[in-house]
Amino acid sequence: MSLLSICQWVQSTGFFTDLRSSWYVYPVVMSLHMTGIALFGGMVLAVDLRLLGVAMRKRPVADVVCQLRVLQWAGFILVATCGILMFGSKAEEYYYNAFFRTKMVILSLIAVHALVFRRSVYGSVVEFDKAGRIPGRAKLAAGLSLILWTGMVIAGRGIGYIEPPLDKIHAQATVPAALTGQRR
Amino acid sequence: MFLADANPLNASELIFPALECIHIAGFALSVGTIAIVDFRLLGLGMRHQTAAEIAKDLGPWTLFGLAIMLFSGPLLFSSDPDMYYLNRSFQVKMVLLALAIVFNYTIRRKTALSGASPLRSRLVACISIALWVGVVFGGIFIAFVGQFV
Repeated sequence: MSLLSICQWVQSTGFFTDLRSSWYVYPVVMSLHMTGIALFGGMVLAVDLRLLGVAMRKRPVADVVCQLRVLQWAGFILVATCGILMFGSKAEEYYYNAFFRTKMVILSLIAVHALVFRRSVYGSVVEFDKAGRIPGRAKLAAGLSLILWTGMVIAGRGIGYIEPPLDKIHAQATVPAALTGQRR
Repeated sequence: MFLADANPLNASELIFPALECIHIAGFALSVGTIAIVDFRLLGLGMRHQTAAEIAKDLGPWTLFGLAIMLFSGPLLFSSDPDMYYLNRSFQVKMVLLALAIVFNYTIRRKTALSGASPLRSRLVACISIALWVGVVFGGIFIAFVGQFV
């Protein structure tokens, strides 16, 4: 079973067919995706800017990183859930989309980033506060995080701008331009 | 007199999506930093600090984000003013945006900086979040209402 046939099966399920056919469910899901970015993205920025030593400098690094962790996860779950719903409703089209593929590569790099810096940075913030300085590896982690999440936004916005290969797509949406968020 | 066709923004198909990304970065920074304070008013997140401390820390970043948003937004609007002007979702978005900004720098600012009862704090935080979520929904629905309503 190929990845493409899995995508075709996913979008053919009753749930995703209904999602695709409704004129308002899809934009609601997209709005919630964007709402999550507004709330969760700001927290990622706050943590990264604190690690870089430019924002919230009066507050301990550990306070900023640890206290926002649960809210960040809540936001990430909201964004990811809505992302999966959007993907599922037009999985085949996303499969061909170069920006979507790029976005998934960046997302896996974010997972790698989290694993690489888990102990040395995000688990060591109390030591940074004790030492009174933020080490280079923490600033590197914050800088890479900023670049990766910016890449997610750019790739995500790019998805709607690629014309799908219409001759290969099986699940034609009633209004393809609107469903991909394309202008005009 | 302003003609969309004469707008240099429409000369390259890359400019609009690039501005959209800048717009998203701007509201992630502004709405995101506002939300950190709102969550604190709700008793979530940065509980070791007071809402006033966080509001003072993040105030300049909120303003910076708003500046990016209010710079990129009108440029996006200028690409096709007639469409936006007549779009019901855009109209709603502009009303909510005005309310959100006024609310942010009046009632919410006072509540966060000088403290208030837990009930009042929570109410103010909920109104603030609801207004900004409304702005986001209004923005997304611009691309959808025109074709259906």
